[in-house]
Amino acid sequence: MAASTNSLISMQSRSGMAASRICSLKPVSLSNQGRSFLSFGFRSMPARSLRVSCAAKPETVEKVCEIVKKQLALAEGTPVNGESKFSALGADSLDTVEIVMGLEEAFGISVEEESAQSIATVQDAADLIEKLVEKKD
Amino acid sequence: MRSFQRNFSVSPSCPLLPLQLPSPMETHVWFVLPAEFKSVSLLNQYMELLSPCEKENVLTMRGDQLQKRALLARALVRTTIARYQINNHVIDPRSLKFRKNVHGKPELVWKSDDGQCPSPLHFNISHTSSLIACGVTVNSPIGIDVEEKQRKIKNNILAFARRYFSLYEVEHLSMISDSEVQRQEFVKLWTLKEAYVKALGRGFSAAPFKTFTIRVKDATNSGAFEVAVESSDHPESLTNNWQFGLFELASSHYASICMEKDKTSDVAMRVPMRLTNTEKRLLQSCNRILPVAGF
Repeated sequence: MAASTNSLISMQSRSGMAASRICSLKPVSLSNQGRSFLSFGFRSMPARSLRVSCAAKPETVEKVCEIVKKQLALAEGTPVNGESKFSALGADSLDTVEIVMGLEEAFGISVEEESAQSIATVQDAADLIEKLVEKKD
Repeated sequence: MRSFQRNFSVSPSCPLLPLQLPSPMETHVWFVLPAEFKSVSLLNQYMELLSPCEKENVLTMRGDQLQKRALLARALVRTTIARYQINNHVIDPRSLKFRKNVHGKPELVWKSDDGQCPSPLHFNISHTSSLIACGVTVNSPIGIDVEEKQRKIKNNILAFARRYFSLYEVEHLSMISDSEVQRQEFVKLWTLKEAYVKALGRGFSAAPFKTFTIRVKDATNSGAFEVAVESSDHPESLTNNWQFGLFELASSHYASICMEKDKTSDVAMRVPMRLTNTEKRLLQSCNRILPVAGF
């Protein structure tokens, strides 16, 4: 997922609540050269960029949404964003565990049962992922 | 264990038929098939049974089908429990009060002179997109989990099992050469493990799936099965108290029940499964209930 100026704008419109944070970031051009997007991003951001501390980056949220949509086989155009609750999307416990497994594989992390239980929304998952990826780095 | 399919109506002209409480060693399982509820006005009536909080929760579900399912689940719980008239009082399903225990498991409360106390009636629900089930016991924690027999998982079964199941369970699954049989055994095992965790009522993290093993074994050559749980973390505390049942519902689902053993009774006692004839749908559903293990 390249983050040229164009795609930064499109990210803004998709996750409106994060818009104000994106504005404070300098657009950085990133390309995925076969590496995980997240780890590349952490290492190569110019020093003067503002790094957002608590909540996850929109790209992470987006990726979680993709994995959730695939697992739950949601209809094309079903709105899924950071605020989406897994249960409200129809995920049962087996779906949730499969989603966590998919996230582990996609991001190269390992999620403890206690942490997995506290994930209720897409945003929760994305925040946890970034915390775990950061610990890895 | 007794299992019944419900069709329920709530109009004043057709009051809820009363039920006899389950006996101490018994579980009653009530289930409905959402596809059979098509009337919008009927669904609106059911909506009126729910508490404001439950109504709000139904409306947060994304889409009509999920809302209908959430609605029917609450309506099933309320109308079923209301029929078990404690002390022969007619109970309005609307009047039932629920709360979550400290770990988040829903439970029924009775109003007593000094506030609220937990009811002797225990229940647990589980649903898939095509079936909603509610299990009821007296004085025994209960967990129930249902899953479509045809449920396919996105991940490779053994990879999933290695990640989440115990060593013994992984070995058991990997010894099954037929992939379809392996998938079925996986689904059954999942429901058994879920039912156990739900019966414990302390949340997924209190008994991580890897830390306990469910064994389905042929106890004697008579063909009777034994389902037992062993915990690697707490070998003495958690595991001797629970008994399991695994069966098919409506020919489309596996269902697992886990309830506490009656401590005063002989450990080897089995609850015979009997089906009574009180519901007009029951004859149809009689042949849909097939004990698989634990009886």
